[in-house]
Amino acid sequence: MILDGTLPARVAGIDSLSPTLKRFRFEPERGCFPTAAPGAHVLVTLRGPERVWKNAYSLVTPPEARDAYAIIVRRVEESRGGSHFLHDHLRPGDRVEIGTPASLFPIASLARRHVLIGGGIGLTPFLSFLPVLRERGAAFELHQYCTDAETETFGRLLAEAGGAVTIHGSTSRRSVAEILADQPLGTHVYTCGPERLMAAVEAAALDLGWPSHSIHKESFGGAEGGKPFSVRLARSGRSIAVSDTQSLLEALEAAGIEAPCLCRGGACGVCLTGVIDGEVEHRDHVLTEAERADGKLIATCVSRARSDALVLDL
Amino acid sequence: MTDQGIKSRPIYATLRRDSSGRRHLYVSAGSGPPPDALAQDGLESWTVAPTTCEGTLPRPEGVGERRFRSTRYLMETLGRRLAGERMGLRLYVEGPEDFLWDVYGVAQAHGLGRQEIFLKQSGTLARRVQCVHCKTFNEGVTTTIVRCAGCGANLFVRDHFSRRLSAFQGVKIDAEQPGDVPQAERAYP
Repeated sequence: MILDGTLPARVAGIDSLSPTLKRFRFEPERGCFPTAAPGAHVLVTLRGPERVWKNAYSLVTPPEARDAYAIIVRRVEESRGGSHFLHDHLRPGDRVEIGTPASLFPIASLARRHVLIGGGIGLTPFLSFLPVLRERGAAFELHQYCTDAETETFGRLLAEAGGAVTIHGSTSRRSVAEILADQPLGTHVYTCGPERLMAAVEAAALDLGWPSHSIHKESFGGAEGGKPFSVRLARSGRSIAVSDTQSLLEALEAAGIEAPCLCRGGACGVCLTGVIDGEVEHRDHVLTEAERADGKLIATCVSRARSDALVLDL
Repeated sequence: MTDQGIKSRPIYATLRRDSSGRRHLYVSAGSGPPPDALAQDGLESWTVAPTTCEGTLPRPEGVGERRFRSTRYLMETLGRRLAGERMGLRLYVEGPEDFLWDVYGVAQAHGLGRQEIFLKQSGTLARRVQCVHCKTFNEGVTTTIVRCAGCGANLFVRDHFSRRLSAFQGVKIDAEQPGDVPQAERAYP
């Protein structure tokens, strides 16, 4: 079940993990948060002075933790501003709205072994996997790819989490194919991180004959900016401008339109909206090649216009 | 009476090589060769050849060809083999329905999933029937009604097939009127 509505919360603590990484701890205004599934993410609504962001972040707290949720956020130079706001403006005691948690990245219950491959900050969903896997006594290994400068930071995070962990810095690392070769039957691989890493994991697994059901990817990237464009909404006749740092979904929300969404990372397909005219630049992970070529649907959370304008069935 | 309109019954396609796999193992309850669509380089073929036909079959030729004297021996060897197998295997199974799902159960217990196992029914249509009352398995049932070997009940053989038990379900046909048992028909040759 996907719960609707938001959970009022306050910032209870902010830890600096590295120059670009901070952990934010949120506590509910009243009562308890709902239990989250391993790999769950929440939408955090950030109200800045000029604009509102709704960004999806993986929970790094154990799934049964209901007294507080925590997320880890990297301050990205070329961001659309959400991570800057979190890093530079959010203070303990500030109020935030948190969406109810949803998981598009569950642990496969029939798997006999789990190989987790994280890249950079893509480690975050695995931090909620680890306590569950350990409690179940599951066979697993975790491989974290990162730059040499961050091996210590991620090492500390994983020391807290425990388990069979290998950290691969940029100068000495095993290839993904080496990790995946020679895994027993019933192994599942999960990967979260930069698109190139996830593509490499998938390609290596398929090349070794892994069935597609045993390969799990979490696309946490969220929207990236691009050329500004405009959309016309066919049903209401309204026109809305999408700026270079805004996603189409954010522009719709800023205009007061209740557009459907869930993951805000192009992974779940909840936001798919009909396209009546215009050319789409597809950036989602949901549509098939045929659907992309057809051009009749757009994932509003990540995809943009290739033409100057789009006409949407909204 | 043979089609009871039960939609959950498994449907079997012909076996074709799944080229996404890296190693391919064909397991058959019979002694015949694998279908041509599978028989390419690198296919291992495990068959069952009872002792009675040992002198009559040609000698195994292929590298990966192996014959077993009983399905039970094949099944035990398969379990040991899968315990040491790595990701990338595809398993193709051919034989009567109970054999297919017995193998499926062994494969599943060793971590193979439904994208890695392919089943094709062949040979006898005789059914393994579980008595839902006393849980006895009645092997090789060819008729629509059978006396349970465990409790003696007159069982109607339903089309309800359990993949987990590799068996059809048999329910007492004269529960309302004890002794009112219709004539059994031979339906599953």
